[in-house]
Amino acid sequence: MSGRRIGALFRRVTEEIRRDRPSIALLFIAPLIITGLVTFILREGERPTIEAVIVNQAGQPGTLVAGVLEETLREQDATVTEVPDEATARAMIEDDRASVGIVLPAELLTTSSPAITVITNGLDPAGEGTQLAALQKALLAGATAATGRSLPSIEHATVYGTPSEDPITPYAPALVAFFVYFFVYLLTGVSFLRERTGGTLERLMATPVARGEIVTGYTLGFGLFAVIQVTLIMLWVLGTIHVPAIGPLPAFSIGLGITVAGSPLLAFVVVLLLAMGAVSLGIFLSSFARTELQIIQFIPIVIVPQFLLSGVIFPVSSLPAVIQPIAPLLPLSYAVDGLRQVFIRGADLGVDALRIDLLVLTGFALFFAVIAALTIRREVV
Amino acid sequence: MNSGAVAPPGPAIRAIGLVKTFGEIRAVDDISFELAPGRIYGLLGPNGSGKTTLIRLLTGLTRPTAGQAEILGVTMPQRANLSRIGYMTQSDGIYMALTVAENARFFAATYGVRGHEAVDEALALVDLADRAGTLTGNLSGGQRRRLSLACALVHRPPVLFLDEPTVGIDPLLRVQFWAHFRQLADAGTTIVVSSHVMDEADRCDELLFIRSGKVIARGTGREIRERAGTDDLEQAFLYFGGEVEVTR
Repeated sequence: MSGRRIGALFRRVTEEIRRDRPSIALLFIAPLIITGLVTFILREGERPTIEAVIVNQAGQPGTLVAGVLEETLREQDATVTEVPDEATARAMIEDDRASVGIVLPAELLTTSSPAITVITNGLDPAGEGTQLAALQKALLAGATAATGRSLPSIEHATVYGTPSEDPITPYAPALVAFFVYFFVYLLTGVSFLRERTGGTLERLMATPVARGEIVTGYTLGFGLFAVIQVTLIMLWVLGTIHVPAIGPLPAFSIGLGITVAGSPLLAFVVVLLLAMGAVSLGIFLSSFARTELQIIQFIPIVIVPQFLLSGVIFPVSSLPAVIQPIAPLLPLSYAVDGLRQVFIRGADLGVDALRIDLLVLTGFALFFAVIAALTIRREVV
Repeated sequence: MNSGAVAPPGPAIRAIGLVKTFGEIRAVDDISFELAPGRIYGLLGPNGSGKTTLIRLLTGLTRPTAGQAEILGVTMPQRANLSRIGYMTQSDGIYMALTVAENARFFAATYGVRGHEAVDEALALVDLADRAGTLTGNLSGGQRRRLSLACALVHRPPVLFLDEPTVGIDPLLRVQFWAHFRQLADAGTTIVVSSHVMDEADRCDELLFIRSGKVIARGTGREIRERAGTDDLEQAFLYFGGEVEVTR
């Protein structure tokens, strides 16, 4: 290993990226826009409006329950209409005039555990989930009023942090990891492919440069840009800058202001290790591509499955048992877990889980570096 | 600009029974020769005859299936020995996003050359000194070719391989290139030039006709013409390839 040659490679790689404005925009601006957008959607998303229709089959005693239901639902900005039978309710849901139907059965107060039927159109599981939760609350209040017995309410407490009112908190660390991984892979892959197809790699191989020096030079070069990218994303995700009102412009704030329980520096190390692995992955996969389009074609094969299986959106423990064993094979899993440990649990280096994540990420980075180096002298005819 | 004095006595380049197969195809088929220092050798043959593969074997970019290649007495592949070899590839192999000087400096650094003098000298030699700050992507085809040559000799190698160096360049530039090559050879550099253009042959000190991975003839232009009994090198090539009977 020669520091001089690695230095020359590092300078060349950084100079090339620096002059490539679209790539700079992709690296530095795109993640900010996307994380900002996701945060905005999760925080400010419209709650589905509840347009309930109530069918009372229980006669006079049911009226009391229906009345309480109506009252509690209206408190939650729902509209409530009473209709005579279930068929009318179904027809109204079909015509989009109602979002949910509540059927109070004839035996509402005569049996010990009456079942109330709730009807939805079944097209929007997430929105219906919200509606059902609201209904459950209303039903609880209704039942309490009807029976005169008060049922226990539920208080939510968490081991780490506080029960979050901010819906973005569990996703922010995962998104940071994913964007770094994805963009660094994409840029390295394309840039190394150009090296292979443009004849410069062939020429480089005719100089005394060693394969390890090439991988190191690339890792340092792209590593530098990953550092800048991660710094920007972190500032954006964690920071809040309040801009006071100027003239006709109202006051506003920049930054997502997501709270992090642990040290941002540790989070930084996690992401950097992941980025180094992504550089080598890009070099490695570029040997299987002949055109830049094929680097893009690897995204649904290599990147999207990692996105789905590494706990970015779906927790690994919620995956089907058959595919759960895949998660520990993916570097992204460890970065997502490591970042969640730092962001939410506030883990420091004393926490075993975080130490394991860091260790495995280092292992992946080294492993990919070796296989990347092995693909470099692959003979081209 | 040369360090030919470094070259030990004996052949600069030696091929001993070199064979390279790709599946069924024998791209290089048992080639042996010794090339003396300070001379220009022309590898002549049609596209696909094995010239590039032969150069890649000699420079150690690919391992031979059988046989051995030696450069300045060192068996290839040998990474350290690459600092004594210059290789101008068939494609330009230069970085379009870098300036002319940055390209030359980058390759100088990979060869372990220090300081700006070597870079300035190489750029002056190919007449690109005044374009040093220009982005390579903005150069003309001929200028890129010249930069590619500068990058191959920025470390003043005693052995220089040039794979089709004059393809697609204008006649004036071609004349200039050959003047450079002669200048380098006079200073002791061993140069191997591959070409499929026969009219460049007479600028070489010696010719090697390559066909189907074999050396079918070797000698000076005059010797080859005499043996084939024709003044036309193209006819001579066909004669040695056993394609036609040349009537004397």
